[in-house]
Amino acid sequence: MKPPPANALVNQLVAHTLGLLVFGGSLGLGAVWMRQEIFSTANRNRVLESRIADTQRRLDELNAEVATALNPDSLLARNAGMQLALVAPREVQVVRVPESPELLLAAKRNREIFTVETGRPAPEDVTFHVVTASYH
Amino acid sequence: MSKGFASSHRMTLLALGVLSCFLGIGVRLVFLQVIDRDELMRSVEKARRQILVEHARRGAILDTKGNLLATSRSFVIVGADPEMLQPDDEHNWPELARLLGLPPAQVALTLRRGIAAAKLAQATAATPAARSIPAGEPRERRVRWVKLADEVDENTYDEVTRLGVRGIYGQRGFKRVYPDGELAAHVLGYVNKEGVSVTGAEHHLDLYLKGEDGWIESEKDGARRELAQFRSREVPVQNGDDVVLTIDSVIQHMIEEELKTIAAKFDPHFATIIVSDPQTGRILGMANYPTYNPNDFSKAPLDAQRNYAVTDIIEPGSTFKIVAAGAALDQGLVTPATTFDCGNPLITHNGRQLRLPKEDEPFGILSVADIVAHSSNRGAAQLAMLLGEQRFYEYARKYGFGSTTKFEFGGEVRGILEPPEKWDGLTITRMPMGHSVAATPLQIHMAMSAVANGGTLLRPQIIREIRDPAGNVIRAFAPEKREQVLRPSTAALLRQLLTRVVTEGTAKGTDIPGFELAGKTGTTQKLVDGKYVNNRHVASFVGFFPASRPQVVLSVIVDDAKIPGGSIAYGRTVSAPAFKHLAEQLIQYLDITPVPIADRSLVALNGGDR
Repeated sequence: MKPPPANALVNQLVAHTLGLLVFGGSLGLGAVWMRQEIFSTANRNRVLESRIADTQRRLDELNAEVATALNPDSLLARNAGMQLALVAPREVQVVRVPESPELLLAAKRNREIFTVETGRPAPEDVTFHVVTASYH
Repeated sequence: MSKGFASSHRMTLLALGVLSCFLGIGVRLVFLQVIDRDELMRSVEKARRQILVEHARRGAILDTKGNLLATSRSFVIVGADPEMLQPDDEHNWPELARLLGLPPAQVALTLRRGIAAAKLAQATAATPAARSIPAGEPRERRVRWVKLADEVDENTYDEVTRLGVRGIYGQRGFKRVYPDGELAAHVLGYVNKEGVSVTGAEHHLDLYLKGEDGWIESEKDGARRELAQFRSREVPVQNGDDVVLTIDSVIQHMIEEELKTIAAKFDPHFATIIVSDPQTGRILGMANYPTYNPNDFSKAPLDAQRNYAVTDIIEPGSTFKIVAAGAALDQGLVTPATTFDCGNPLITHNGRQLRLPKEDEPFGILSVADIVAHSSNRGAAQLAMLLGEQRFYEYARKYGFGSTTKFEFGGEVRGILEPPEKWDGLTITRMPMGHSVAATPLQIHMAMSAVANGGTLLRPQIIREIRDPAGNVIRAFAPEKREQVLRPSTAALLRQLLTRVVTEGTAKGTDIPGFELAGKTGTTQKLVDGKYVNNRHVASFVGFFPASRPQVVLSVIVDDAKIPGGSIAYGRTVSAPAFKHLAEQLIQYLDITPVPIADRSLVALNGGDR
């Protein structure tokens, strides 16, 4: 077999070298692109972390402001400032109802219905089966 | 194969060119990576590496209903990097000054001085002398930070940022704030400017509250922004846990208002009010006069910062009579109807004739019930003599006198209760009326609480639970029994006797019909220079209600109240009215219902039980 001419060998070498350079360059560009992506992702994470921390800070700030606005002294000052005259009840003002207020109100209403329908007041000895609504 | 475009000569030249380029790059790399590596690495490390510390947020302190008592607010320290400041931003400086609440001239002066200092440092660093300083040796420091304003709030800092002045930065930190001001100051304590927790809950629960700082090892760019992709190590911040106290801020406010009234009326040396739940030992309110605002702790004198309820001792006076009465009843030595001669000043005890203490008013024959109701000193002394020194002492110890209550925030003293071996001949006649013994207000309060809850001495509980930052309960605190002081039936009997104090005894008129107030007055002469004086007293009223099913124990102790006209500051005149006023408010707030008449009769019949 006849050996290839020297120029052809050099051309092959140049072509392979160029191919290698293109391949290496592609790898380099790929690495740069990957690093850029890592950078953007890391940066986005950092911004998100910073926003979460910022939101948390503002939430704490708001809670502190709410607590300050709701402290007993502030509320009393508002009560005085707005002339609401709100005071805690005294025992003499309190009427305690030992029975269930729900049943009492239902009985009263049923008695009223009976009076309207017959035009006469309900006799005292009439008993009712009280039906009440329940949310449970 | 074709011969291609190149001749062998050209190709050789091209190959040589390419090879020499690679060789050049290789040589440079050897210099960069091998020969100059150490110096370059030092320079890079110094210029780009940074450690960012992320401060942990201190946990909040909440009351039993979840209201914030102490919290941390973030603030920003605003400053400038003079090397980064630009001359074309100068027109924004006046607006910057306005936002920071500073005079424009001051801001301009600070920034110009900073710029001048930075330029000087840069010029010095550029001189041959500075360049010749070997790496690692100290050099002239660059000026990269000039502080403009402290404690700028987040909203203001946002506006500062929006101005877009290059070189203006903020450093974040946390500041401890107490939204309710003086409320529960002695219980909460405070954190000082250096971030050190000094007293109260802040100090004793610091382990839970403080959290752990986090940090990030990373690199920064020329504009000092973090290059997040170069983070090499990251330790996440661990915020502090929240602490929930047993204090109820509404009750706390009530008692602090009452203390203000007492202070305005009687100008005492100090005064203490404690409210607790007798069944659990949970402290619902604890306040002292004088007090202070923890937001302004530096202005408060040290005396105002003391939690007198646990740090100071007083002679309990007649409130101590529950020891002799309870012990004698518990031992079955007497019944409420047993009588004693309280008119005779002399008595023979262990073969010796002893002089009994004076009474506030002359008494004759009194039953045990009357001794308690009318607070007879001689009656109490005779009850103690009936018990004997040792048994009386043991009961006093069981009530918690002479030992700390194990109050969780510490700082408490254990009081004085000497064993019988150290007593003189008269101690058995004086100690039952609350002399020759000293206790903290909290000890007296807890002793009465034992009577209220059926005879069990509990540890006062001030911490309800600890929650992690996510709100999960990581530790809950349950009631802790210390001692069984009295049998439940004895405690119930004593409770009934104590109701007579407010209906017909020393605090007559303090009763609130239907709510069975019960308690004991105390009026103790103060010891001044080792002698009891007639014009200075500790007035107290310690009690609970409703007697048949106690829901609240309340103590009002006023030290050295000044009564207009110079009359004696009795417990019934100084403390009992405050007790009643507070009881009226607590009944409404805690929705305590009156005791039905039938229940009261039943309790009276069988002596009551738990």
